[in-house]
Amino acid sequence: MSLATLTIDARVARLTINRPEQRNALSLDLLNALHARVDELRTRDVSLCVITGEGKAFCAGMDLKAVLGNPAGSLELLTLLAELTYKIRTLECITLGVVNGAAIGGGCGIVTVCDLAITFAHNTMGFPEVDLGVCPAVVAPWLVRKIGPGRARSVLLAGGLMDGTQARDIGIVSSLVEHHADLHEASERMIAHLSASAPNAIRATKSLLNTLDGSLDRELLLRAAKLSADVLNTPTTQAMLRAKLGA
Amino acid sequence: MIRSETRDHVRSISLCRGEKRNALQPAMLDSLLHELRVAASDPAARVVLLLGEGEVFCSGFDMKLVHNDAAALPALLASLSACVRVMRRAPQPVVIAAHGGAIAGGCALLSGGDMVVTDEHAKLGYPVLRLGISPAVNAAGLIAHVGAGIARERMLDTSAITGRDALRVGLAHRCVATPADVLPEALRIAAELAAKPPHALAATKALLASIDRVDADEPFDHGLAVSMSLVGSDQQRERVAALWATPTPTKPAP
Repeated sequence: MSLATLTIDARVARLTINRPEQRNALSLDLLNALHARVDELRTRDVSLCVITGEGKAFCAGMDLKAVLGNPAGSLELLTLLAELTYKIRTLECITLGVVNGAAIGGGCGIVTVCDLAITFAHNTMGFPEVDLGVCPAVVAPWLVRKIGPGRARSVLLAGGLMDGTQARDIGIVSSLVEHHADLHEASERMIAHLSASAPNAIRATKSLLNTLDGSLDRELLLRAAKLSADVLNTPTTQAMLRAKLGA
Repeated sequence: MIRSETRDHVRSISLCRGEKRNALQPAMLDSLLHELRVAASDPAARVVLLLGEGEVFCSGFDMKLVHNDAAALPALLASLSACVRVMRRAPQPVVIAAHGGAIAGGCALLSGGDMVVTDEHAKLGYPVLRLGISPAVNAAGLIAHVGAGIARERMLDTSAITGRDALRVGLAHRCVATPADVLPEALRIAAELAAKPPHALAATKALLASIDRVDADEPFDHGLAVSMSLVGSDQQRERVAALWATPTPTKPAP
């Protein structure tokens, strides 16, 4: 079974992060699989791409254990994430994150890069990078564009986690249901609604938004990946991660 | 269809087509633009208050007219863009009383408001992508109004939000309980603003305009061009025509 699956039905694509036994943590292999699926999607004519996670989590963030003590691997991992967020943002269709479970760090970054996102009140989300001695550089430009520079500063510097209600209140997700059990029906309703818009109008509007809000600045993301890798590879952070991950 | 009057330094400009939910026609939007320009250059108008008569503030462009007259949509788009620019750049504060609803072009007008008042159950949003029309025309105004993230969300999600949610995302700045409470609250705010030193308000507005780039025409022009590029497309004509098509019962799939 592939680490990421893509199904297309009518004008709706569904991209699923499929590594449930590791809470969909982003490894090199998983990021490469996501790249392949998104590349495939770019050749298809759809109105909406739904991004979700298989199993209990949406995405637990970067799988850092495998790149501990491996500076080149860290840079590769973070560059793959940066390039993936750019690819998702520049899709010509609407992107909707259906945040079915925990979305942490880079996982919450994937939610942030989506145009729209829906989750449930008691979900666990957030950017705890600084708590681990890691710099959330790759997600920072997306979060600034999403919730504004003031709020982004308070979220990224405070670290820690938030629930779905807080994520909605500060603007990381756009829609909220009370219970996890309500998510499926509400998201399917939203999918039917969003995919009914005129394809040419969607394309034109997205392209304008990406131009106006700076989303096309790919260089910034690559610099961010390098910065994040540099911080990750400091002896202090490596020691903190070894202790935390038990490696 | 537009009425303007000044009382206690507040220039009230009303959309007076309440029986049609203040649906905007080209001549009407041109008069609005004219009145906004006059107010912006009149020192006697210390505050501009924009309001709509009837049950809702504004339901957007008159789609029946857009359907019947190919020249209507381009004219409406150009005037809408100009109205938002004039309001954002006016030296005096602009207060908008958005009771009941502000849809599509009506919602876009809110981006010209420094203070937008609505009510808890009002419906606000941009359903126009469904019709093959792009809300791009007001992207620059909306980004300046609510930030890029919320602007993206509201422009791509065609469902309306309530006045309460509009307050949360920054589309409105005050939210009162009922539509009838909106105008009194807007008048109260306008009176408060009219009592403040106009030169300080004007200097502050000009500074904010330069920070959020609404003093530049390029982003507005870009958005207007994108909306214009879709005018008359097959998808647009079919979807707008379908608004008046006789519904036919759908047969179940074999």
